[in-house]
Amino acid sequence: MNEKGISLSAHTMKVLIKRELISSIYGWGLYIAVFISFLLSSFILRNFMRGIGQNNIFISSYPLNLPLFISVVIISLYLVIVSAISISREKEHGTLEVLFYGPVSSSSFLLGKYITDMLLYVIILGFFAVYFLGVSLLTNLGFTLALGKAFLVSIFLASCMISFGLFISSLTGRVRSSIVWLIGILLAFLGIWFLENIFIHIPPESLSSWLLYIQKTLSVIYHFVNWVSPFSYLSRGMESIRIGSIKPFLLNIIYSTIYTVVLLLLSIYILKSKGVRA
Amino acid sequence: MRLKRASLIYNIIFLLILIPGLAITSSAQQEEKQPSINLTPLLKEQLVYSLNVFDGKGWSGSFVPKTESTIYLIANKDNAICAKKTLVYFWPITVRYIAAWRTLDEDVKGVLEVLKDGKIIEKLKKQDTVLCYPEGYWGEKVVLYKGNEAIKWYKKYKKAEDEYYKALNKYYEARIEYRKKMNKFFEEIKKRREKGEKGPLNIEIPKEPEPPKPPNFFVTEPRKYYVLNLPVGKYKIRLRAKDKTIVEGSEKELLVFTARRREGVGYEIIPGNRWTKREECNDPANAIYAAGKNVLYFRPYRQDEYNELYHNKLLDPQNRGRIENWKWVHTEPIKNVQLLLFSKDNLLKRIDKKPYKVEQIPGPELGYNIVEFKKGKLPGEKPTFEGYQLILSENLPEKSYRIYLQKEGENNNIISTSEREIRLVKRRNANFLFYLSIFPLIIGGVMFVLRYRKIEK
Repeated sequence: MNEKGISLSAHTMKVLIKRELISSIYGWGLYIAVFISFLLSSFILRNFMRGIGQNNIFISSYPLNLPLFISVVIISLYLVIVSAISISREKEHGTLEVLFYGPVSSSSFLLGKYITDMLLYVIILGFFAVYFLGVSLLTNLGFTLALGKAFLVSIFLASCMISFGLFISSLTGRVRSSIVWLIGILLAFLGIWFLENIFIHIPPESLSSWLLYIQKTLSVIYHFVNWVSPFSYLSRGMESIRIGSIKPFLLNIIYSTIYTVVLLLLSIYILKSKGVRA
Repeated sequence: MRLKRASLIYNIIFLLILIPGLAITSSAQQEEKQPSINLTPLLKEQLVYSLNVFDGKGWSGSFVPKTESTIYLIANKDNAICAKKTLVYFWPITVRYIAAWRTLDEDVKGVLEVLKDGKIIEKLKKQDTVLCYPEGYWGEKVVLYKGNEAIKWYKKYKKAEDEYYKALNKYYEARIEYRKKMNKFFEEIKKRREKGEKGPLNIEIPKEPEPPKPPNFFVTEPRKYYVLNLPVGKYKIRLRAKDKTIVEGSEKELLVFTARRREGVGYEIIPGNRWTKREECNDPANAIYAAGKNVLYFRPYRQDEYNELYHNKLLDPQNRGRIENWKWVHTEPIKNVQLLLFSKDNLLKRIDKKPYKVEQIPGPELGYNIVEFKKGKLPGEKPTFEGYQLILSENLPEKSYRIYLQKEGENNNIISTSEREIRLVKRRNANFLFYLSIFPLIIGGVMFVLRYRKIEK
């Protein structure tokens, strides 16, 4: 691609990003999603505070990390679904085909979508910062450096989630199938991750034989899903913060970046080879 | 007619007696026929490995049945293992195999070969090993000695034991003498009182002999084991018999692992309001969140972090665990330190370790008080626990405090891994968190109004 082509592509991306960003900022969806995530976080935190109240003492590593994790998952799901809908809708309505007759290429289109979602996530991170600072002031649970690190890790989870969403929507044609596939796969990943984390804290001796069978099966599935599911990248990042070691922290960031790049390249390739018609 | 009626009555009475009797007999017979719950385990001869392995704290014993294919060991530590023939049975109540050592305990002879990537890296012969309990048999510390050192320690213990028994014999003799002297003493008093002597009699009271103190350490009898000391890695072991064949069932995988984090400081925290329910604050990332008034007693330990599955399997090869989990293992209590309480960078308090006694509140009401233990109050009385007392209350001026450990007499040397944060949470504000959740909607509303105005313009 020559210099002119690159600048045209960059301009196209800029226009696409601006359009999408303004539409999201002025819409209600983003704020409602953030509100729901904060509501859930508040519920968890209130129960945590009640737990301290009953026992007078509670020992925990980072009590704000779990609410942050839940908020990040909800917001990422929102961003992914919105992004997938917009791609599939443009495919279905044929606007994508019209766009592709112009200076828009599959790479600039998908990268534009990815950057828009990432920028939206950075804006949402601002909301997170305000909320958790407020929580810290109200409860004295502490806005620690570790929480700051968790914020940084969450950017990479969002990146994994968004690229995963773009990959799924590049595979599917229609809005409905895109949403069903995306929600289905992500909920399955989330369910496996959630159940596996529950089973980790239950000693195998206390499990009945059929629960032990489920746990063993789940463990095998989790082993496979571990590198495919975007949620694993966040939990690994959180674990590296807990250990306080910089090496696994940086490694997780590198893995997340590789995951994003691979999925984006695959999405571009699929969109190119399958075409833009639904 | 009368006779007929009488015989009928007799028959009815006879039947009334007979039927319940038969019923009772048949029920008794039924009871006899019922199967009894008789759980006799089926004993099977197996080649097993008997272990005395380093568990992070000391050396502990276990055995590896045929069903377990892997032996777990901690790297760069002496671990004693030995192949034995014994009878093994499955005990369904605890769902594990148990060795009947008393019935059969036969050493399997041969050379232990250690293989790495298919190549033999070590050929081991058995050597003498002993377990030494330097704080006595009931003490927490255990050390494994091998070879000449093992024999030296055993002899040392035997000598101490012999000396103790000799001293004990002398003590018993002295005790008999003492009794005799005491009897004479009382007789003398009786005589002189009977003679009419009054006031102090000035008779020397016989001295009671002191019992000898037993050895303050314990050493087990020397036993022949193979001593493995390997770096981290995966190995295989097998036993080669004298006729150069491999002993059947002796091949096992060997997983040698190490701690992920070392030399950490963990705390056992005894909350004053429920002293039997102790908390652990082991991970350096842990913070102590406290609400309301409470008294906390800290007990610091040195600790290493191991993989849960590996460490559980090391303690008992039949144990379970999760490879994804990690656990802190307390290695030894930290002695001769002070607990420092900091607020920001200001040292607020130096706390010394003190003994405490839990005293039940007298009367029918439930409850207890934790008081500082004073020696000599009652003979033979011991403190319930020792720890560093920290009093917390809601009215403390700062929201957050930090604790550290410092070696006694070393004013500038803080044990870095001992740092923990104590945060005093405001639980009253917990419900306000829901109001905080609304602010994205407020911003959304502002953006909506801005857009509306823009469109109108």
